[in-house]
Amino acid sequence: MRRMTAFVLCLLLSLGAGHAARAADADPNLLKSVLAGLGNHQSVRASFVQTRSNPALAQPQVSHGTLLFVLGRGMLWQTAQPYQETLALTGSHAARLDAQGELQPIRDARGVSQVSQMLQSLLAGKPDDVLRQFDVQASGAAEKWTLHFAPKQSRVARILSGIELDGDTFLEGIRIDMHDGAATDIRFSDTRDAGTLTAPEKSALGLP
Amino acid sequence: MKLSSLWLRAGLFTVATLAVALLGAWLLFGRGAIPIQTDLLAMLPGTEKDPLAEAAVQRLAHANGDRMVLLVSNADDDAAKAAARELGTALSADKTFSSVLAELPPFDLQQLVAPYLAHRFTLLSDADRATLAAPGFDPAQALSRHLNEPFASGVGTSLQDDPFGFLQHWLDQQPWSRSPLLPEDNLLTAHHDDKTYVMVTATLAGSSYDDAVQRDALATLDRAERAMVHDHPGTTLLRTGAVFYAAAARAGAEHDVHLVGWVSTIGIALLLLWSFRSPGPLLLAFLSTAVGVIAATTMTLLVFGQIYLLTLVFGAALLGEAVDYSIQYLTARANAGAQWEPRAGLRQVRVALLLALATSLLGYALLGIVPFPALRQMACFAMSGMLAACVSVFWLLPALLQRPSKPLSPVLVRVALAMQNAIARFGNGRRGWIIALLLLLLAVPGWWKLRHDDDVHLLIAPPPALDAQEVQIRTITGLGNGSQFYLVQGDSVEQTLQREEALEQRLQVLVQSGKMQDWVGLAGMVPSQQRQNADRALLAPWMSDATRMRKLLTDAGFRASAIDTYLAAWPGTPIDLQQWLTSPISTPFRHLWMGQNAHGYATLVLPQGQDDVAPLHAAAANLPGVQLVDKPASVSNLFGRYRSYASVWLLAALLLIVPVFGWRYGLRRAPRVLVPPVFGIGLTLAALGYLGQPLTLFHWMAMMLVLGVGANYAVFLLEGEPHVAHRPGAMYASVLLSAVTALLSFGLLALSSMPALRDFGLTLLLGIGCTALMVPASLPLRGAAR
Repeated sequence: MRRMTAFVLCLLLSLGAGHAARAADADPNLLKSVLAGLGNHQSVRASFVQTRSNPALAQPQVSHGTLLFVLGRGMLWQTAQPYQETLALTGSHAARLDAQGELQPIRDARGVSQVSQMLQSLLAGKPDDVLRQFDVQASGAAEKWTLHFAPKQSRVARILSGIELDGDTFLEGIRIDMHDGAATDIRFSDTRDAGTLTAPEKSALGLP
Repeated sequence: MKLSSLWLRAGLFTVATLAVALLGAWLLFGRGAIPIQTDLLAMLPGTEKDPLAEAAVQRLAHANGDRMVLLVSNADDDAAKAAARELGTALSADKTFSSVLAELPPFDLQQLVAPYLAHRFTLLSDADRATLAAPGFDPAQALSRHLNEPFASGVGTSLQDDPFGFLQHWLDQQPWSRSPLLPEDNLLTAHHDDKTYVMVTATLAGSSYDDAVQRDALATLDRAERAMVHDHPGTTLLRTGAVFYAAAARAGAEHDVHLVGWVSTIGIALLLLWSFRSPGPLLLAFLSTAVGVIAATTMTLLVFGQIYLLTLVFGAALLGEAVDYSIQYLTARANAGAQWEPRAGLRQVRVALLLALATSLLGYALLGIVPFPALRQMACFAMSGMLAACVSVFWLLPALLQRPSKPLSPVLVRVALAMQNAIARFGNGRRGWIIALLLLLLAVPGWWKLRHDDDVHLLIAPPPALDAQEVQIRTITGLGNGSQFYLVQGDSVEQTLQREEALEQRLQVLVQSGKMQDWVGLAGMVPSQQRQNADRALLAPWMSDATRMRKLLTDAGFRASAIDTYLAAWPGTPIDLQQWLTSPISTPFRHLWMGQNAHGYATLVLPQGQDDVAPLHAAAANLPGVQLVDKPASVSNLFGRYRSYASVWLLAALLLIVPVFGWRYGLRRAPRVLVPPVFGIGLTLAALGYLGQPLTLFHWMAMMLVLGVGANYAVFLLEGEPHVAHRPGAMYASVLLSAVTALLSFGLLALSSMPALRDFGLTLLLGIGCTALMVPASLPLRGAAR
């Protein structure tokens, strides 16, 4: 109890962490079928382009690379440009793969790992964590859908305006909008079932 | 002595007793709250050489002393939260609680970053410090990584305040950022095992150890819980806090006092009624005992100011020993028949009573040598109680016992005589030696099986259900255990913080290797000036060259206005401990700062998630000014040390008694008088071995009493026997009466909820039982064979 008081905890600098919503109005079946569809793919590879804009930046930052997502395990986020780096995001842990292929745990990656965890549980068809924190609206159809997440927690809602996921059989993009004008946009392309994982990939994800 | 002086003495004694009773009543009830100490920590001895360490133990124990920590859980998220809100509302409506925290006050997340902006260039996370210090640090690369971090959310420091994310990383490392409890729907929430847990804390309007506060708080909580569970089925409530432990300890002790007190009182009453065949002796025996209890209570309150629960229960059991003196006098009257004369009767029992009192006082005095507040108080209570009870036999009872009484119950005397004859016959001559040898052979394997146990839980044994809840709450909320911690001392604030940093560097290694969950210390929140200067020096090469930094940020895409603001903020100011301690964010951590004392300054560091003390000790090894304070271990050590001394004391006590007995009975007979208690102790030890009971300090303390009480029985029998030649067996009957009353009260302690008293009771039960059975063996054969 020594390590907390209410307000102090709320310092909590992550995305309000692990949050989403009661499947709101819209079409509850659509959300269900979208999640079921995403959960069909045991492991997925994709290329990504992440564009980040911020009021402090004159022009947006762009990075790209590849992503390997394994249901129930986590993901490898491999940035190729503008620098080379592989992050292993598994459960609540985040680690950086160093030049020797060794995992170096990142201690202060709570924010990152929470968002990735939320994404992982959503994609694994277990949206409860997310639904606690966000109201979700699904629109479109099973072959072309959009999920809009609005934060339920007023503290978070004052900062985060919303998250949008869109896709077809696979997740195609994630967009995060902040009230101060900052935004992160991640687009996936060339999405496919991953097939066999290489030995380094398995070890980075802690798979046998 | 004339009859009138008998009455005068009794009158004076009555007046004195009344005065003592009045004083006791005032001490007990006249000074506000009843001075019964339910804080079990208070019974523990001072174990730390460093008084500051002892003070720190108290501080940590009481930091949360007056607070309840409640965890409402339900598999259904909404139900858990609604239940927690209902509980919070119900508790805050009651004036028993000064404040209740369920729903969080409104505030802005960003608000909490602002105070740190001024210090952003002196606060670096461990990882960033290492990166910056490594050769070949590339700021452009670091900037790029931060800007392109996947899923980074932008909650926290803004990009223009913290382009590299250094401050953000430092804030992420703070204890409040690492807590598993997150604000959700304005409630502090954790999700664990598919259940939602919501924390509610309630601060009591008074002390956890105040009887009235305890009762009101628990009753209110109970009502609120029932309503909550009724409205939200499936909800469970976990609780922890000093108030629950204190209430449980009080309830346990009350139960014990009732059990031991009432059962032994009723048992003794029936026994005396049956033996003396008249209610008069019973009333007088209880009068004498009551005098003892009144004197003991008053004396204890005078010396200690308060009474521990342990003493209360032990005191209830002491009745059985205090009643012995009056029993001896009453049996002397019963045996004297029509020839009874109170003053002659007194002369007849005087030596026996004084010898018995001396051995008892000796036994308890040895108990009082042990520097445990609890044992000292028991010794003080017992000594004043026994003394008063004995004096009442000399001064009060003769005046009230002028007329002769009926003889002792013939059945009792017949049984006693049969036992006495049988035992004396077996206990003498060659047969005696053979039996002694056989008993020895029987005992040896039992002694061989003896083990020992010095755990602190002998004195403090909270109900397992409470302990389990605390463990569960610790697991879910990540709160520390508080029983082991580091005390860091230094000559100045700066030196203290530096020393803490040296310790925390080692603790961090333990955390990284998974040997420890976490730690909390002030230096992690307010680094030493040395470290802050060093951190700033790492940034200086990049920050002080404004042109280069401007280019770097411009290349990365930053707007000119954002760059200007950032550069203008350099070099900022270091964060200062005293200033930080006045900020609201420090509230939950303020108790870690012990402040200034005669020798300098001190802080506390709390390790979490590591119950094995070996690595904790290793982490403090060779660090100047750092010590691990482990109160349970210190107490256990002390228990162990005194347990090993106790066996020596027992021997010493035995050797002290030998010359006393030698003087009275002759050196040749003295050993025979000592045989019953010595064999009683030996056989008790063997029995404990066979029972698989590890020996504790309390077993040894009880042995001391077995020796004292056992010697009494031998004395009673030897002293009394010549006076009852006309009623063979009557003297042993009185000894048996004494023994059974002692067994009734002390033996019942074996059912106590406190392990220490349980050990005590069991030992006395076995020891006094064995001794009483063997006492006739100390009589010379001719007395018994007739």
